[in-house]
Amino acid sequence: MSRGLWNRETVALVLIASLMPLALFWVWIEGIGALARFGLALLVAAGWHLAFMLLRAQPPSLSVLTTALAIGMLAPEELGVFRMVLGISFGVVMGELVFGGWGRNVVHPSTVALSFLGFGFPAFAWPVFEAPVAWAAVPALLIGVAFGVMPAGVVLSAALVGAGAAAAGMLPEPALLAGGVVLALLVADPVTSPATMLGRWIGGAFFALLLVFFAAGWTGAAPVQIAVAAALLASLAAPLFDEIAIALWVALRRRRHGRT
Amino acid sequence: MSFLGRSAGLIPEISSPPVVGGTEDVVTEETAVRPGNGAAPAVTPLVREGDLVAAGAAVACLRHAPDVCFVAPVAGRVARLSLLPGRRLSEIVLFREASGDVERHDTADAGTAAGLRRLMQGAGIWPWLRRRPFGGMPAHNEVPAAIAVMAADTRPLAPDPATALEGREEAFLRGVAALETLTDGPVLIFSAEGARIPDTGRGAGRIRRLICGARHPQGSAGIRIHQAFPAGLEAPVWDIHAEDVAAFGTLLETGVLPMLRLVRIGGPALREGRLLRTHPGADLRQLTRRIVAPGQHVVLAGSVLDGRPAQWLGPRDRQVSVLPREGAARKPHWLIAALSRSAIAPAIPSAGLDQAFGGALPALPFIRALAAGDDETAMKLGLLSLLEEDVALADYVLSEEGQITAQLRAMLDRIQSEFAP
Repeated sequence: MSRGLWNRETVALVLIASLMPLALFWVWIEGIGALARFGLALLVAAGWHLAFMLLRAQPPSLSVLTTALAIGMLAPEELGVFRMVLGISFGVVMGELVFGGWGRNVVHPSTVALSFLGFGFPAFAWPVFEAPVAWAAVPALLIGVAFGVMPAGVVLSAALVGAGAAAAGMLPEPALLAGGVVLALLVADPVTSPATMLGRWIGGAFFALLLVFFAAGWTGAAPVQIAVAAALLASLAAPLFDEIAIALWVALRRRRHGRT
Repeated sequence: MSFLGRSAGLIPEISSPPVVGGTEDVVTEETAVRPGNGAAPAVTPLVREGDLVAAGAAVACLRHAPDVCFVAPVAGRVARLSLLPGRRLSEIVLFREASGDVERHDTADAGTAAGLRRLMQGAGIWPWLRRRPFGGMPAHNEVPAAIAVMAADTRPLAPDPATALEGREEAFLRGVAALETLTDGPVLIFSAEGARIPDTGRGAGRIRRLICGARHPQGSAGIRIHQAFPAGLEAPVWDIHAEDVAAFGTLLETGVLPMLRLVRIGGPALREGRLLRTHPGADLRQLTRRIVAPGQHVVLAGSVLDGRPAQWLGPRDRQVSVLPREGAARKPHWLIAALSRSAIAPAIPSAGLDQAFGGALPALPFIRALAAGDDETAMKLGLLSLLEEDVALADYVLSEEGQITAQLRAMLDRIQSEFAP
């Protein structure tokens, strides 16, 4: 039989390729320290993938690279190796591997790890992105949407609502930039974003609205912290949006055809 | 669900050499009478090995519904009659006899619904019908809630139904009008935009003309039925190819059922493609002889997406695909073999997967419901209108070898045993 190519590992590879602009600019601006953070995150996450492969016969996935990149870029700074290993282990194991690996998880493992690190060790400063790194999120999102691995609805609605709020002066620039990076790294993940057309548009807009809401009302929070918290809530709400979209679709069909 | 409308879908690129030569009529030396895909029905053979049969004469009928006959597509001598345990039909092979007769059916009482049904069942049109949900030939007394006439086919390398209907407009319209008497619901004619399909007249009662896009699976019967008139447990929907409707119309006029149909032979393992008219049950080895490229190959009855290796053309097939045979795969590393045995990789949503259902239903929730065995969600999302061929594109896109198709069939079988009356 003849076969197409969009299996799990192809999607993971294309996702890595689309995040390349972001990763390259980040390494270029931040230098060797960035590589060390990425290396540590990759080592720990890959170690857990290996452990689950040997203990539970769960095939490892190349998506570990995107997880490591997101943690490396967004984790609070100066945490030290022990805390980082703790946070990454929690995120990768409890966020992804116990559910059966990439594709069956509910929340992005990096979102779990970052929330754990952020809420667990609030004394450490969150990273601040230079403008070139933050703007590199735009080509990353464009590549991802063009190749179909990032859900277009999520990206478009988040971009529209975010741009509208920024134009209206409701979203300060640091929060907008951090939101763009988090959108590319965490929110536009194909697995944990909503899976229906309507759900995707609601989900992206929900992320952007949370961003606006937190930026206005959460005093003392860093832009990246705001964006990560918004990403966590948006991905937790994704199944709800899907459920709403499907219920609506089924109700419309019932009305039209008398059955589904 | 879809704002893309008619542009939704994909065009899988399957390489094939161009069609050479005109459309000639081919009757193969050997012919087999076979049931369609699915469980083989229990039959009573009406001929013995060595008998001479006319073209269109019944060779077997269903054991529990003797009205429904399987007919010989060409005149010939019965060479082999093979039944499976339980007197279920495997195949009846005929050797062609050039001097054979043609069976003429009595169309006197085709004016009534019961007479028409008897004519269709006796003349061998019944196996060309397919019902949804669950697939297969309709029961002999089933009344459909709607009938879909497929004058569109978007599978890769499929022959154009409009070409098949050229010069047979009147027969087609007569067939459609006759189908209308079989159902109380609508008769839906699906055709591509701008296709030269005979006009049934606007607002002609229950006959409706619907347009579908050019990309697969827009011309797939299940996807169309799902959008226009979903099949339900109590509301079976039949589908039939437009060319078969034209043949039915000719049967009504002349009493003889024309067996030849337009078939495209394509695929990457050919030297040249062919477009010809042949009959159901044609011998695929004879059809592909001399046009296959050197090297090992496998001949599929049906398209590259949903075909299956076969020796004979099935009752509903209009495509023959010839693919290079993949050599015995190298034994994978023991660890990779163990991992791929232990776990099925989940489907990751991508734009390709969304398009694989033509935007007709929420793709990922449906795939997840299939994988999880969640019957009720799958039925809510439209499972009952779909058959294997409608989800074959999703299998292709996700690079899974028939896994979604197999899950769909298993779920349909389970629902049939649990819910169906």
